[in-house]
Order: sequence, then C-alpha cells, then structure tokens
Amino acid sequence: MCTDKNDVTLVERYFDADLDDVGMQDVNSRLEADGAFKALFEQEQLLIQAIRYHDQRDKLHYLKTMEGHLSKNVHKASSRSLRPWHYLVAATVIGALVVAFVWLSVPEDPNKLFQAYFTPYPNAFEPGVRNIHKGTQRLLALHAYELGDYETAARGLKQAYNDHPEPGVLLLLGNANLTLGYVQEAEENFNTLIKNYDDLDPQAKWYLSLCYLKRGDVDRAKNILKELSETEISYASKAKELFERIN
Amino acid sequence: MGLPDGCFYINATMIQNEIIKKIRFGGQTELGLVYAEYREEFLRWITKAYHCSDDDGKDIYQLTILIFYDNIKQGKLETLVSSVKTYLFGIGKNILKEHIRKEKRYTPIHQEKWLKEYLVEEQTQIRDEHAFDVAGVALAKLGSPCRRLIEMFYYEKKSMSEISEALQFKNPETAKNQKCKCMARLRKLFEEELSKTQNVINHVY
Repeated sequence: MCTDKNDVTLVERYFDADLDDVGMQDVNSRLEADGAFKALFEQEQLLIQAIRYHDQRDKLHYLKTMEGHLSKNVHKASSRSLRPWHYLVAATVIGALVVAFVWLSVPEDPNKLFQAYFTPYPNAFEPGVRNIHKGTQRLLALHAYELGDYETAARGLKQAYNDHPEPGVLLLLGNANLTLGYVQEAEENFNTLIKNYDDLDPQAKWYLSLCYLKRGDVDRAKNILKELSETEISYASKAKELFERIN
Repeated sequence: MGLPDGCFYINATMIQNEIIKKIRFGGQTELGLVYAEYREEFLRWITKAYHCSDDDGKDIYQLTILIFYDNIKQGKLETLVSSVKTYLFGIGKNILKEHIRKEKRYTPIHQEKWLKEYLVEEQTQIRDEHAFDVAGVALAKLGSPCRRLIEMFYYEKKSMSEISEALQFKNPETAKNQKCKCMARLRKLFEEELSKTQNVINHVY
C-alpha cells in the first residue's frame, strides 16, 4: 500500500472520533479519490470489526459457562423437590381433580408454596470459579455455593461480606441461609440489602417475601408480592402468580 | 431502596434504565445478572410460542443477551420506553423469525456464524470473510494486555481515563500511546498473516 505514517494516523484518529470537521472532510475526499487510502481505511474498519466480534464470542462463552451452572442448579433444585416424572404425571392428574374441588375455597399451605417457588439465586457474580486453591475467602465461598454446599458457603460469604461488604455477596448469603432454614438470618440479610443498597432491590424483595412465607407470615409476604407484581420487572409475573395462590 | 406506594412505576422505569446504565459502565458481571434475571421467563415463552427445544431456546437467548449488550455498548440503546423484558423478547423474536426466513424452515442456530453475519451485515460494505478470519488470528497473536486495551476502547467504548485506571497506566495519555502501539502491532500482525495465507494460495496454484 502506498500510504505513509500520516495516513495511518489520520485513519486511526477517524475511528477514534478524534478529528475535527476539516479532518473529516479530508478523510471523505481521500476515500473517493485515493484507492490506497481507501484500502487502508477498510483494513482498519475490518480490524475494529474483528475486535468487536471476538469480544462478543468471548462473552458468548461466558454466557455458556453460566448457563451450565444455572442448568445444574435448576436440576439440583428439581431433584430435591420432585419425584420421577411418571409419579409427577400421576400426581398431577389426581391433583387436578382435587384442585378443581378446593382451588377457590382453601388457601394453599405457605410452606408448600415456599418449596414450590424457592430456587436459590444463581451465582451470577462470578460463575465458574476456578483456581480456588489460590483464592480468597470470597472465591472459596462462591465455589461452595455453586457446588450446593450451603453451610460452607454461608460461613464464607458472611466472612467475605464482613471483610468487604458488597450487595451480590449479601444476596447469596441470604439465599444460602434460607436454603439451610436459617430464616431469621436470611431476613436480616435481605432487609440490609434493601436498606443499604439500590442494586438488587427486586431480588431482595422476592426472597424476603419467601422468608415470610416460610415462617407463615402470609400478610407480610402478600404485601411484598403485591408490590412486586405491580412493577414491570422480571419478578412481576411470578410474584403475581404467587400472590394469587396465597389468596 | 424502598419507595412509597405511589412510586412503583417510576421505580420500575428507573430500574430498567439503571440496568442500561450499569451495563454501559460495567462489564461481564452486569451481563450475567441480566442473563440470570430474564432467562426463565424467556425460555418459557420462546419454547411455548415457537415450539423450539429448550436447548435451541437457550442458544437464542444467549444471542439475544449479546445483542442487547452490543446495542448498549454501541450507544444504540440509551433509554428504554418499554421494559427490559419486552425489549429482550422483541430481539429474540426477530432473531428467530429472521433465521427461519433465511433457512426457509426451522433449524438449530449456529451461534458463532450468526454473530459474524450479524456484525458483517451491519456494516455498509460487504467484507472479505477470509480477511475477517485472518484478522481474528492476528488478534489472538496480539497477546492479552494489548487485546484487552483495544477491546475496552473499541468495543466497550471506555474512555482513556477509565482504561488508564482499570489497566493501571500512569495516566490517560500513557494509555492512549499504548493503544496506538497496540493497533500498530495488530496491523503488522494482520499483514504478516495475510501474506502467509496468500503465499499458501499462490503455492497451491
């Protein structure tokens, strides 16, 4: 290519949005008249496009790793609470007949509803934790959380939060406590999250409503669920569904 | 934090736009949070509405999240008039419909190919696919500090001050100089790789 260093700088500054009007006009007129300059320009455009594509591809791999962990969690949650599918189908058929009878007259058992709706929040903060032998307390706790070892996770997350308070850690700590049945501790975690941070309010409120449900405080659970169901956030539809089932 | 009863809708809108702001200034963690938040509802909807399998639904969801992220990073999406959920469902629907239109029938989506086509078609000029792949090889040879720097600048649209702070340069000016050096290295690697492949092609003929 018959271009000099100044041309390279000019093209680079163009893509960095670092040119004034005169510089922009210069680039546009050179693009029309100078083939070598046009080739240089297109090469730079291609390289920037490739940067964008490769970053997207890395993000895709990250989402796939995360999906693997999320699917594992859902599977674990299902295997804890459900029987094999044929029992489930049979139960559904029988259940449908019974439900038709009692659906409108008898409110559902809060504890059972809790079991049906509670799934621990996934570790969206640092999924696929590796090199845990070199890791901090926080990484060890996140790793334990992903493995479903909630005792270790709760201990580690509590320590990690005390050392360095961050909302994500508090949300997972609340979830670990709730999974272990430490409802009061979980409630405190979610209340702190709502009071002290803005980041994870919908999540904290959803899990707080489940804490109330778990200990049978249906009225307080309903208040929060009603609040969530009137928003447009992702929890709205399931909050509405749960609210109606409690009612 | 909690707001009085009358403020729910303001709160909801605020949350939607907060998400966009966080993704614009944040990174992978924010992306992961959005992914986890809308995953269940999206999968339930797409598998029911379009009769696709759970796995295909996940592939489409991942692309949807990437396009959402890309639109924010490229400055195409600054504020939402609808909810994040509606926006995501809209992207997912378009991806699937466009894919079916191209393939003439429903087939599983090849994500990396789809992404490449999406980025190429977005540009006004049609690119040489071979050169695009060579650029990928050059990028891989560039090494991580340089690659990270140019990704932050050209893709994540971070300012030199943000890059300087994140990658611990002395000041934004040093970061800018380093970015110019990295781009020069990338151009050189690209030309070397391109000439290598051209030599192979010439040799074959």
